[in-house]
Amino acid sequence: MAIAERGYTHWPGSLEGGRRPWRVLEDFQEMLKGADKFLHINPAYFQAYYGSSFLIFMMLMIMVGSGSGLIADDLRHNSLPLYFSRPLRKRDYVGGKFGALAFFLLLLTLVPGILFILLKLLFAGSFAFLADYPWLPFSFIGWSVFISSFFSLYTLLLSSLGRNRRYAAILMVAAYFLSDVFFGIFYGIFHEPAFCLISVQMNLRQLSAAFLGAKPQFDVPWIYSFLVLSAVMVAAVLVLRRKIRVAEVIR
Amino acid sequence: MIPGGLAVRADKLGKWYGNVLGLSDVSIEIRPGITGLLGPNGAGKSTFMKLITGQLRPSIGTVTIDNQPVWNNPEIFRRVGFCPEQDAFYEDTTGREFLSGLLGLSGYSAAEVRDRSDRALAFVGLEDAADRLIRGYSRGMRQRLKISQAIAHEPDILILDEPLNGLDPLSKRKVIKLIKDYRTEGRTVLVSSHVLPEIEALTQSIVLVHQGKILAEGDIHYIRDLIDAHPHVVAVKTGDGRGLAAKFVGEADVLSVRFDETEGTVLFETRNRDRFFERLTRLAADEGLDVEEITSPDDNLQSVFDYLVGK
Amino acid sequence: MNIELRDVQFSYGPVKALDGVTLQIGEGACGLLGPNGAGKSTLLKVLLGFLRPDTGEGLVLGHDIRKDSFGIRRVVGYMPEDDCFIPGLDAVAFTALFGELSGMPRAEAMKRAHDVLYYVGLGEARYRNLETYSAGMKQRLKLAQALVHDPKILFLDEPTANLDPQGRTEILELIADISSKKDIHVLISSHILTDIEQTCGSLVILNKGKVAAQGELAALREVRFSLYELKAKGETGPFLEALRHGECRVEETEDGIIKIYLPEAMGRRDVFRLAEESGIQIRHFVKSRTSLEDLFARTVGVD
Repeated sequence: MAIAERGYTHWPGSLEGGRRPWRVLEDFQEMLKGADKFLHINPAYFQAYYGSSFLIFMMLMIMVGSGSGLIADDLRHNSLPLYFSRPLRKRDYVGGKFGALAFFLLLLTLVPGILFILLKLLFAGSFAFLADYPWLPFSFIGWSVFISSFFSLYTLLLSSLGRNRRYAAILMVAAYFLSDVFFGIFYGIFHEPAFCLISVQMNLRQLSAAFLGAKPQFDVPWIYSFLVLSAVMVAAVLVLRRKIRVAEVIR
Repeated sequence: MIPGGLAVRADKLGKWYGNVLGLSDVSIEIRPGITGLLGPNGAGKSTFMKLITGQLRPSIGTVTIDNQPVWNNPEIFRRVGFCPEQDAFYEDTTGREFLSGLLGLSGYSAAEVRDRSDRALAFVGLEDAADRLIRGYSRGMRQRLKISQAIAHEPDILILDEPLNGLDPLSKRKVIKLIKDYRTEGRTVLVSSHVLPEIEALTQSIVLVHQGKILAEGDIHYIRDLIDAHPHVVAVKTGDGRGLAAKFVGEADVLSVRFDETEGTVLFETRNRDRFFERLTRLAADEGLDVEEITSPDDNLQSVFDYLVGK
Repeated sequence: MNIELRDVQFSYGPVKALDGVTLQIGEGACGLLGPNGAGKSTLLKVLLGFLRPDTGEGLVLGHDIRKDSFGIRRVVGYMPEDDCFIPGLDAVAFTALFGELSGMPRAEAMKRAHDVLYYVGLGEARYRNLETYSAGMKQRLKLAQALVHDPKILFLDEPTANLDPQGRTEILELIADISSKKDIHVLISSHILTDIEQTCGSLVILNKGKVAAQGELAALREVRFSLYELKAKGETGPFLEALRHGECRVEETEDGIIKIYLPEAMGRRDVFRLAEESGIQIRHFVKSRTSLEDLFARTVGVD
């Protein structure tokens, strides 16, 4: 039987020796909560990212900076015979060039998408997000692959047209923006949304909206945009098959 | 205009591009006949040719033709024909149009332009192809067209920069013959080439440029004789090489004797060719020896070039 | 036989570049000659499998040119005619890249790249950017990449084009050294006849897509009758007179070479005897062979 003493009491334990820096991260959980509010990672977020002009601009920079010379430089310096005097097929060569460029473009498209998903899962601490939007990973992966392939082929196509990488770079930017300018002019005059099919940028936006479940800007079925862009890709493959040859026809 | 007899003279001629040396302190006289101009890349051959043709202004010194300075002197330009190394054609004109256009620039009347271009085209053997587009010309035809523009005004001095480059053996033959034909009319022809046997096929008289200076000029064999550092090598092919060698080892002018058993030859190095050959001719006439071949492997332009420029 | 072709035809549209080429190429170095447009480059490209022949069969070291062009490319090193390199690389990376493309492991390709660069004389320049290379160095670099995977046959297309005399000599010496090895063979296409003369033991001459001549160089140049060329120092008049008196046909060329057709009754010694009697020195004396240029002109049939 004892009566507890009131007032100040001692702590009977003993202090441990080590330091505990991680406890400083006490705030982290708070931050996570805040970030979760801030990063509203939902389909709209993906739509905004993949449809942004900034993303496309960055991709164009990569294409102009490192893609324009991929084939033009080889043509300029006559290095095709060197490659093809090795056991190498045309498709190995084009595939290698395609892969190198697509890798960098995927860094801008696929990798951020995956990061968004991972962060969302991390912050939310549950898979509810994926359960809510089970199609989202597929659509952004699909879109990343599509746009990267399209831009890679577009770059290789224009790079193979001449022996000068600067012309290729100018062509790439010019074809991209001029098609947009023409669209702007025609649309301004006729107010016909179908003109969006002549603009590379508008086609990409229409299609990205379709892939990611957003409402397209123009009331034109996305399948047409898909066909237009696919036609460019097929044309690129055909031109590359013609242009990549070791033996020039001698007059 | 009376052809022939004009000398090109350079006096202490030098040319710099900024601080890059083109040519330094060159004094030379090039007389009528064919002269070969040779040297390693960057030695100053093209600079020299451009100075003679008045395309460059000397940094120092003078170039004169017939005692008149070349720079900015259209009267002299009329007497000089130049065939540059690079191809620069308007591909969509015909050979005849190209040539008459250039002749027109020289200020001839229309009739004379026609007359002269006909003659020049006939001289280089392009009369049949004259009305085809240059686009379809082979390398040999392009080269001959370039030569035709250099000779169309019948210059006394013809300067040809690498006229044989990239031609196949038959086209080379034609061009060499053209150059020799032009020479026999008593004019001065200066030809540069990287392929030494081709120079030898054209002429025995050379100018060797190296590091912006003239290293040697004159007859190839004369220059060879002047190179004391390398005694002459004579190769003799005979059934009894050692027997022949034995007859020479006692001679003071023979510096070394070597046997090349794969070729079956004896190689003698001699300081005095006259004595050596005199003795060799006598020995070959003797009963004991059967001399099959006598050659001088280092008495040619390649050796002169190697000895002077160094490898 | 290293290379065998039977009735190979190839056309660029209506233009027949190769018109029934049948040839055998054996050991050592072989020269490939022909006027422009004779089909030399086309032939090399057919041999490498870049171009498929329209008709005809061919084997390169036992690999069928139609079916096994990859097999061919593993054993062949090709040095193209044009200047070619990849900007931004140094010589080691460049050479190793092509070793890897040929199927060498990365580390081996790197090691081998250093070896071949030393061999072609680019050892000191091997870390420099290729864009700074001179014409001669680019030519050696092309040779290095052709050698990097240790091929059994080398195809060299105009290896001395655009080189100055030193550059030519050096490349020709390298080629001669390579082809002196027993187990590596060389096929050289060139416009410069003296290059072929210096390096090759056998020869193929193409003209208008057909084989105009092929065989050993020495045999092709052989002259049957006894024709000698000589140069003499001294007063040659009496000497020539004496020769003509002995029923020799004598010709003098403009560069001072005297050509003598000896009748059967006379031997070489008689020539020297007459020279000694006339008091002149014979400084040059060879049995005349058809010059490669004459051989070329004759087989190609112009002039």
